[in-house]
Order: sequence, then structure tokens, then C-alpha cells
Amino acid sequence: MHIFEKTTCPVNPVAVLIKPMKLLLIEDERSLADSIQNYFQRENFICEWADDYESALEKINLYRYDCVLVDIMLPDGDGLDAIRELKKRSPETGIIIISAKNSLDDRITGLNLGSDDYLTKPFHLSELNARVQAVIRRRNFQGNQRIVFGKINIEPQEHTVLANEQEVVLTRKEYDLLIYLIANKNRVLTKESIAEHLWGDDADMMDNFDFIYTHIKNLRKKLLEKGAPDYLKSIYGVGYKFSEQ
Amino acid sequence: MKLLTQIFRYQLLASLVVLLLGTGLFYISVRYLMDQEVNRELASSQVKVSWQLRNIERLPVYILQLGDSLQLDPVVFPGRALLREKSMFSYAENAVQPYRQLIFYERVEDQWYRVTISKLLLQRQQLRDAVVMTITFIVALLLISLLILNGWLSERIWRPFYRTLGSLDRYRLEQRPVLEFEDEKTLEFNQLNLSVKQLTERVAATYKNLKEFTGNAAHEIQTPLAVIISKIEELFQDETLTESQLVALSEISEAANRLSRLNQALLLLTKIENRQFPPGSEFVNFLPIVNRKLKDLEDLIDQIQLRITSRMEPAGPMIHPGLAEILVNNLLTNAIRHNIENGEISVLLQAGKLQVSNTGRPVNGNPELLFERFRKESTQSASLGLGLALAKTICDVNGISLTYEVENNRHNLTMTW
Repeated sequence: MHIFEKTTCPVNPVAVLIKPMKLLLIEDERSLADSIQNYFQRENFICEWADDYESALEKINLYRYDCVLVDIMLPDGDGLDAIRELKKRSPETGIIIISAKNSLDDRITGLNLGSDDYLTKPFHLSELNARVQAVIRRRNFQGNQRIVFGKINIEPQEHTVLANEQEVVLTRKEYDLLIYLIANKNRVLTKESIAEHLWGDDADMMDNFDFIYTHIKNLRKKLLEKGAPDYLKSIYGVGYKFSEQ
Repeated sequence: MKLLTQIFRYQLLASLVVLLLGTGLFYISVRYLMDQEVNRELASSQVKVSWQLRNIERLPVYILQLGDSLQLDPVVFPGRALLREKSMFSYAENAVQPYRQLIFYERVEDQWYRVTISKLLLQRQQLRDAVVMTITFIVALLLISLLILNGWLSERIWRPFYRTLGSLDRYRLEQRPVLEFEDEKTLEFNQLNLSVKQLTERVAATYKNLKEFTGNAAHEIQTPLAVIISKIEELFQDETLTESQLVALSEISEAANRLSRLNQALLLLTKIENRQFPPGSEFVNFLPIVNRKLKDLEDLIDQIQLRITSRMEPAGPMIHPGLAEILVNNLLTNAIRHNIENGEISVLLQAGKLQVSNTGRPVNGNPELLFERFRKESTQSASLGLGLALAKTICDVNGISLTYEVENNRHNLTMTW
């Protein structure tokens, strides 16, 4: 079975071996939930949706998820309670809080309760995606944490990058950029989302996105030098796309 | 000028005018009365002398009053009678003394005589001066005591007013939103206190509403923004879009991102103003924060090739650690953003002081105006215009002074605590 699939699908052998990830999205805003669901479905994730505290509890009690995305401001209850419940039921599930409140207290409470990350609304879906993948990778202790994309192999624990079996030495920013690009492969990434991912709040500072261009250029050069194909396409006026086609 | 000083000034002025005018009038009237008296006496002397000259050949010795003198000079023709004042030498006193003379002409046995009666004025003048002086002194004393009494009374009566003024002066909306006053004896001050109390109540209510509104609005805006940004991102993945559509979409995305950052910055500003970040009980050391931030901002620093010089020793005020980060970040990013190529940034950190100074373009007008929200020197930058406003607010709520000065195209932002 595996052999058959590998031969018919040479694009991404690792993706085939991994069973689809299951996500639960607890979010009361319907259109935002739609977008998030669509996004993860394209990533071949199974993304279920609960729009209130009650149905969230029901789902948590019935199923196991790899990662749960919780909006802590729900109309009929506190998302933090849902996290407590979830931690009791299945401590191995990854938790990412998404909140309209950029409150330090909530952030600390959330992280103390055992959530893995805290993302403030509004966020880029590509950022959410990258964080979900990072959480799942970190939680997947037993399994293979290696990130594979075409001829690129990354060992996240050792921070080593191999292109075409040769080690590529990257700066911290270039490494982060590569992880982000691979997490959001086959998708158009805007320059702002890349800037925000790499510089966080300092992205406010950018009068232009030349900084990104410098890092992109260096990363592409280093990968090409080791004989990896040119995966990076620039999309005029928008940003970049990392794909094998 | 103080209220009481002003009242005192007017009272003093009025008293002086009254005193001067009164003294003048008094002097004039006393002098007039005395003149009349002297003239009357001279006239009666004239009558007596004329009668004597006409009817009795010899003049008696004591025809005149004591101190007056009589002089007869034969003349050829009579002249007009004359009344005049004259200073003459008195042998008795061995000094020049004022006299009033009445000169008239009388005919005795076909011979005209000029009769001069001189009357010494000295005692009268002395008396007059003494009277005027005494009265003036009494009036002046009266006025001065009135002034003192008035001053003391004003101070007593106005005391509640100064109490109210003091509590208005110390009024802090965030700490004690409504001012309460004790009952006063004076009706007007009670009214004033009541008005102030009602005013602060209204202010407090408005402030609370505004605070809640700002907080809620900012929160409620975040979710629709999240929807907009996520939908734009979904659209980006649509491969049938043309290039111009992608560019338009990209611009929408940029605007939405900017709106989101703006909203978050305003939310943060509101929170800081609402003092939701109380300072801890420990001093925050700025040294590691500055070093870390300089490292974070390396990309930007390298891009325009800035030279960084720093002289730092561990120091820092008592402040919420999160705010300390924002503060340092905003000061440094400001120094980078408004710098020039191949420019310089120098950071000085010592006990009680953090100074970030950078090379830059000259500023039009007062640089401290850049602490205002949305105040920008240039319009083309992507800056929100909130960075320095945030820094200023953080400093204000934590009792730190923040100044901005420009000299020789060098911008100095100095924090002292």
C-alpha cells in the first residue's frame, strides 16, 4: 500500500504517511470560522467547528483532537474553562488561544493553564497555520519531527537544514522564514504576513518591505547553491509562494 | 496676581487717592479760612489807623495787634491800595519771616502818606501746618488700619475658595473621580462647591463611558478585522485572479493590516491611560532591554547603515516590565525611523536617566509637539504616528519626565526619573 502510494505520489512522501490531523475550532464568529476551516481543509486537516461553549464541551468529551483553537470570549461561557476541561480530558492535545483581547493577564492565565500559544485577533491565517504546525510538531514527541519539502530536510530540534543532502547554514531569520514558507507551502503569502511573522510588533516599523526581500534573496541563494530547485516564486504586487511546481 | 493682592492693591490705591485729595482740600480750606481771618484783621487795622490819622494827630502806641508793625512814609501822590505777601528780615527773630502787608494812602494835613501795615504770618502758618499734618496723620492711620482689617477679613472669608481651588488643583480623574466638599458658611462658596461637585460627577461619568466605549469598540473592531484579513487571504489563493485584481487585493490587505495595528496601538494607549499596568515594586533594569531591542532591530539598523554608540550602566525606574519594553522599543525605533543614511544613534543609560539621541532631519516648530497623537513630520512614512505618544503616556503615568530637543540636527529624547 505504501509502496503503491509512494510511486503514484512522489510529490510529498511524508504527507502520505501521516494520518490527517484533527483540529477543533471553538469560535463564535461564523465567517471567521469558515475561513479558518477552509484554510485547514486545504492543508488536508480535519477541522471541526464548535460555535459555543456547550457544543465545544460536547466535542471535547467525545473526540480526540491534535490541536484545539479556542476563542476565549464565547457568548455562553469562558473559553478558559473549556481549556481547563480539555486539559483534564486529554492533556496531550495542543491548545492555541485566539482572542480579540491582547491582554497580558489573559495571555499569562492561558499559558499557565497549559495552552501552547496565544494569538491576538486579527491574525493572518498563514500565521495561525504555522503556529498550529509548530504546536503539533512539538507535541509529537514520539513521532518524526522532521520537516520535509522536496529536496529540503529540516531537523527542528537541531535547527539543521539539509538541501540536496548538504547542510545549509542559515541565519536565525532565514531559518524562521524557511519554516514559515514550508508551513504555508503552495499558498500565496503576503509581504505583511511574512514581516509580521519574522519581526512581530516591530513589523510596524517597516516603511517598506525591503528587509524581507533581503532575507528572501539570501535564503534563495543559499538553497540554490546547494543544488535545491528554485521553489520560491514572487507574486507581483502581493508577495511570495513556495511550491514545487 | 493673587486675588487678595489685587483687592489690596485697589484698596491701597483708593486710600492713597482719598488721602491725597483729602489732605489737599483740607489744606486749601484751612488756608482760605486763615487768609480771610488775616485780611479781616488787616482791614480792621486799616480802619483804625485811618481814623486815628484823620482825627488825632498822633498815633497811639498800641493801635495794632501784637507783632504787627506800622510804617508811614510821606509820598507826593497817592497810589492804589495793595494787599501783598512779603518775606522780610525780622531783627527780633534774626531770620527772614513771612508777612502780609496792607499798603494804603492817607492824606494828613495836605500831605499824602503811604501807610504799610505788616502782619507776621509765621504762627498762623505753623498752626495751619500742624492742623493739616495731624488730621492727615489720623486719616492715614484710619486707612491703614482699614486696609489691614480688610486683608485679614478677606483672607478669612476667601479661605473656602482657596480650599476648593486646592482640591481642583489636585484633582485626578483616574484616582478620585468626584470631588466632595464640607459645608461652608458663605452661600456663594457652597454654590461653587456644589457646581464643582456636579461638574466632576458629569466628567467622571463621561470619562467612564468613554473608557468603556473605547475598550469595547476596539475589541469589537478586532473580530470584523480578523474576518476581513482572513477572507483576503483566502482570496489570494484563488489562481484565477488577474494581476490587477491581486494588486488591488494587496492594497486592501495592507490597509486592513494598518487599521488593525492602529486599533491595537490605540487600545494599548487607552489601557495605559486607564492605569491598567501598575508599576511593580522593583526597579526594572533597562540595560538588558536596550541590548535585546538593539539586537532585534539589527536588520533595520544595518539597512541604513547606522552607527550605534552606547554608554550604559544598569539603571531603570520603577515601572511595569511590559511598559518598559514598549518604552525602550518605541524610543529606539523612533531613533531608527527618523534617522538618515549612515547616521548615528547614541544611547546613554545612567542612574536616573536614559537618553537616546540620533542624527536626523531638522524639525519644523517645537519638537515636543511630536508627542501628540498622529503628529508626523513626514506623510510618506508608514508610521502610525503613535509611537512617541505612547512613550509620552507611559512616562506620564509613571512619573517619568520625557523631553524632546533638537540641536544641530541631533534629536535627543531624554527620560529622567
